[in-house]
Amino acid sequence: MTETQLAPRVSPRIEVENPIGLRLEPEQLPAVIQPDSEPRRTGTLGLVAWGAGVLIAGLSALSIGNFIADEFTRAQWLGWLTSGVAATGAALIAAAFWRELSFLHRLDGVDRLRAELADPARAKRAAQTWLASLPHSEGIAPALDAATSPEAINALLRAGPAKVIAEQAQTLGRTAATQMLAVTAAVPSPALDGVIVTLRGIRLVRQVAALYGFRPGTLGTIALLRRTLLSGVYVTGTNIAVDTLVKAVISNPALQTFAGDVAGAGIAARRMIVLARATAAACSPVAPD
Amino acid sequence: MDLFEAARGLIPLRRRVRIGVTGLRRAGKTSLLTSLAVNLLTMGRGANALPSLTTHLAGRKLKVVVTPSGAESLPRFDAIGKSAALAADPPGWPKPTDAVSLLSLDLDIDQGGTFSMLPPQMLRLEFLDYPGEWLLDLPLLGQDFATWSETTLRRLERHPEAREFLGYVSGLPAGVAAEESLIRNGHELYVAALRALQARGLSLLQPGRFLMPAPGEAPPWQHFFPILGSGKLASLMQQRFEAYTKAVAESLAEPGFANIDRLVVAADLLSALHAGKAAFDDAAAALGLVAGALSQRKPLPLLPSWLQPWGISRIAFAATKADHVASRQRANLQALMERLTEAPGHATWRGFALAAINCTEDFVWTLDGRPVSAVRGHVNGQGVVRSYPGEVPDRTPDLSDWAHPFLSLPDFTPKKLESGGRGAIPQLELDRLLVFLLEDML
Repeated sequence: MTETQLAPRVSPRIEVENPIGLRLEPEQLPAVIQPDSEPRRTGTLGLVAWGAGVLIAGLSALSIGNFIADEFTRAQWLGWLTSGVAATGAALIAAAFWRELSFLHRLDGVDRLRAELADPARAKRAAQTWLASLPHSEGIAPALDAATSPEAINALLRAGPAKVIAEQAQTLGRTAATQMLAVTAAVPSPALDGVIVTLRGIRLVRQVAALYGFRPGTLGTIALLRRTLLSGVYVTGTNIAVDTLVKAVISNPALQTFAGDVAGAGIAARRMIVLARATAAACSPVAPD
Repeated sequence: MDLFEAARGLIPLRRRVRIGVTGLRRAGKTSLLTSLAVNLLTMGRGANALPSLTTHLAGRKLKVVVTPSGAESLPRFDAIGKSAALAADPPGWPKPTDAVSLLSLDLDIDQGGTFSMLPPQMLRLEFLDYPGEWLLDLPLLGQDFATWSETTLRRLERHPEAREFLGYVSGLPAGVAAEESLIRNGHELYVAALRALQARGLSLLQPGRFLMPAPGEAPPWQHFFPILGSGKLASLMQQRFEAYTKAVAESLAEPGFANIDRLVVAADLLSALHAGKAAFDDAAAALGLVAGALSQRKPLPLLPSWLQPWGISRIAFAATKADHVASRQRANLQALMERLTEAPGHATWRGFALAAINCTEDFVWTLDGRPVSAVRGHVNGQGVVRSYPGEVPDRTPDLSDWAHPFLSLPDFTPKKLESGGRGAIPQLELDRLLVFLLEDML
């Protein structure tokens, strides 16, 4: 087909559409679709656990209610006394739940703080808020006030309080590793080894969390362990550093003998050091280098 | 991700990829680098600023930081400062590059799926920004003075802007002495001709430093001009040409381009279409010369690209400012770019039609009773402007194409940017270009 057979082209043109029109707004960024973004459904075991929880809590409440009603039929003062005991118990349980929930909220706050530290408009205030919750952090305050970019603010936090706390966490990890070497060698049962390592690990997680101002209860510790496990993925990148620390721990001649004799002693020590680092990474709002 | 890629993550080393960002004058290289840097940093903060890269990463986490400057001699590219200027009101476009600069970003990419417990992949992306004028010095490295003079003088004959210079050269007596005053006069006329051609939109203008001088006082060997013959003057011109190419090779090509792994060659084809057939043919010739000069070294056979000690393994030819035409025409622009460029056989190459900073939105405009795809955007002092500059051909334009006008591109202002320029910068196809450059490394 030749040009003459084609329909004539439209004449190009440029026109002012709106002389007082403003700059265009950018489109909304497309959402990130993660592979695991499917809504999670409660599994069978979860349903069983929820059912058991509802039964225990519900039936306990009904029993207590019936018991209080019975006591009132016997004597007024007995009814009030039973009510008081039940209310005190319920209040203590509620306080425990409240503590756990507030810890979980504060743990989520780490993510919020991270987002704020990356935002130029909110980074400085977020850094000051975090610093205020830490002891002995006044030293970098003038430098922080003078910092002009989120990158500089994060670098200051990394070099200042985050580094100090990370070193303290490392010390805790080293101590736990030394203890594990000794305990693994002394305990005769391998099954008991596992229990001791688990318990010491949980204690270590709570100790490191305390450095960041957290006081996790049981549920909080479980949430923190889960979060620590995720952050452990990033911490394994520091394998060489961990190896060096393990070597430093077992440089003691006595421990060296134990570690040499007992299979798994070195692994347990290594786990403690990695756990301390992973917990620190999970609790710190400042991204590591 | 395959087992081999995952196992590489075990090596606690950061792999370096140097990406040259070059192109013809006013192609928008500085904007391209600014947008790349800011969008990658935004991706590192969890926003989906480069959707194709997000899709390619398939849920793997990405951490991006600007590499701290070491003791290198190359100046750093200030992407954050340039982005802040874009976000200002009124916005300021990044100033064109007048020296080589380096943008370096460190990427930590989480391993995915089965290998998620392995350490992250560590990459260092080094983008080298190179002035467009100086880029055209690279083809000089493989030429002798006589060939360059003959080619240049023949090309200049087609342009009336060079008439005065051509008259001067042809009027010089045979065997004329190498007088400095004659040389200066000839050099000034030659530079004036180059500037006039540059103003008309031509690109293939050599030597590049005549139009964009290096900082500092120009050395004497930088004063020469193309001339035929074998007299004393021609002999001195040849010596100065050789000194010039030697300086280019030593001070520019070796430290910069010798280590380039990937390359982006940018060109503003839409403006060349508007400038007319001569300017367009000139841009096409310049693109071909540049691509040839930059890919002379051949890679070693049987070695994967990331193990090659030299050689450019991937070349992206980018037609920039594609936001000035509607999406339907961008496919034509990409096809046109691919027709005009042909990378040497060993390199993987692809054409792109992209806008590093997307300033417009598409809409359907009814013109002469027919609906056409057009764009609208804001122009400082004019408000919102709608534009249908003409049809972009999907092949080298022929006479029928040149018979229809292609209007000049309005100077659209960038869309509003969030967080003082630290948020995502709207872009078109820049994400696909990045994935193409890095897909074998991610």
